[in-house]
Amino acid sequence: MSLVTVGIADLKVSKDPEDTLVTYSLGSCIGLAVYDPVVKVGGLLHYMLPDSSINKEKATTHPAMFANKGIPLLFKQCYSMGADKKRLIIKVAGASQIMDNAGAFNIGKRNYAILRKMFWKNNVQIAGEDIGGNSNRTMYMEIGDGKINLKISKKGIIQL
Amino acid sequence: MSLMEEIIVAVDDMPPFPQVVQRAMQALADPEYEVVGLVDILKVDQAITANILKLCNSAYFGLPRKVSSLKEAVVYLGANQLRQLLLSGAASKIFEKPNVGYAVFADELWRHALATAVMAQVLRKFRRLKIDENTLFTAALLHDVGKVVLSNFVADKYLTIEKMVESGENSFQEAEREVLGFDHADIGGKIAEKWEFPESIITAIAFHHEPARAAKEFRILTELVALSNNLAVMVGYGTGVDGLACRGHGLLLEKLKIADRDMEELVLLFQLEMAKTCEVAGVNED
Repeated sequence: MSLVTVGIADLKVSKDPEDTLVTYSLGSCIGLAVYDPVVKVGGLLHYMLPDSSINKEKATTHPAMFANKGIPLLFKQCYSMGADKKRLIIKVAGASQIMDNAGAFNIGKRNYAILRKMFWKNNVQIAGEDIGGNSNRTMYMEIGDGKINLKISKKGIIQL
Repeated sequence: MSLMEEIIVAVDDMPPFPQVVQRAMQALADPEYEVVGLVDILKVDQAITANILKLCNSAYFGLPRKVSSLKEAVVYLGANQLRQLLLSGAASKIFEKPNVGYAVFADELWRHALATAVMAQVLRKFRRLKIDENTLFTAALLHDVGKVVLSNFVADKYLTIEKMVESGENSFQEAEREVLGFDHADIGGKIAEKWEFPESIITAIAFHHEPARAAKEFRILTELVALSNNLAVMVGYGTGVDGLACRGHGLLLEKLKIADRDMEELVLLFQLEMAKTCEVAGVNED
């Protein structure tokens, strides 16, 4: 078994059944996992920001930093390895926020809102999610069977 | 002995903050610092000298030839890189000290310290704030130093703190205060006092969760550390123990006119800078 780290503002795709993809420290960021159980191809994205229009240059050099660039790229890379859109199982985690009644530190909410909007437009269903609150999450994806485990601060490990 | 008394003894037993680094910081605070004077301060410490040369010759800088003189390395790196190297070198030893309690998360604590310092620098530049860079970087880097000492004493009380935080009603710092009668920021202030840091840094560390309590002359510094801490935690550079259970200082965002889009730009700039800093400091960014 090999553990493949997906960094912050990064994405990885694999079809090696021995691989476990992992991404650490999801705060306001979102971890998006997509998996095709037939060809056993999976991908994991860890994006930080909703929209790349704030910086055109980084949109090209760091696409996985942004939802609007990273999400399509994740799907494309999975398709190029044989995954089929109709079979994809999608799971989402993250979008936490610090304790703030006024909701000013709301990048997490915006990260989630744009994902919902993009999925709605493209007719993509979410099979499981663990969103919001004030926990820090680590997300694991087993390429062999597509299982997603979340390690959540103060709560322990759950399967999504 | 009461818990507080025990902790005060532990603070007294802490190793001093390296004199060489403190003296070098004073020298670097003068924008027209003399290289020769700085080299004289640094050369007495072999480990620091070796680290400066190592950084200068690292793949990160990709210099065409090997630099072997300290003087040359000091000139090449410049004040900002040197400051970061010296402060993070000294602080990493303190944060990476293996112990119990919170310190299962020693790596995370150190990563959080660096992230807060980087966020503070980025914020300062983003809003062109006229605040001393040395002081801000030091205060931000060391704001959670109290957790290093406190972690040795909380083992049996930790579960109670954790339960209070889990309820969602209390921040981690509030729970500490409720359970222990004081919090990591109080202890951090005491450590900074012991290290004979300037009043500004002591204040910023002691009140980084309650900047409104800082004396007026140190208010802006303390607010910047508080906000940088908020933003670093928000993005995910917090620690596993407290997660994101930290009170946000939204008013400070308003004060600095940081609206939604500005915050996104700030996070972007932060991430790019953080990746660089981790590479230089040899820290795993993920």
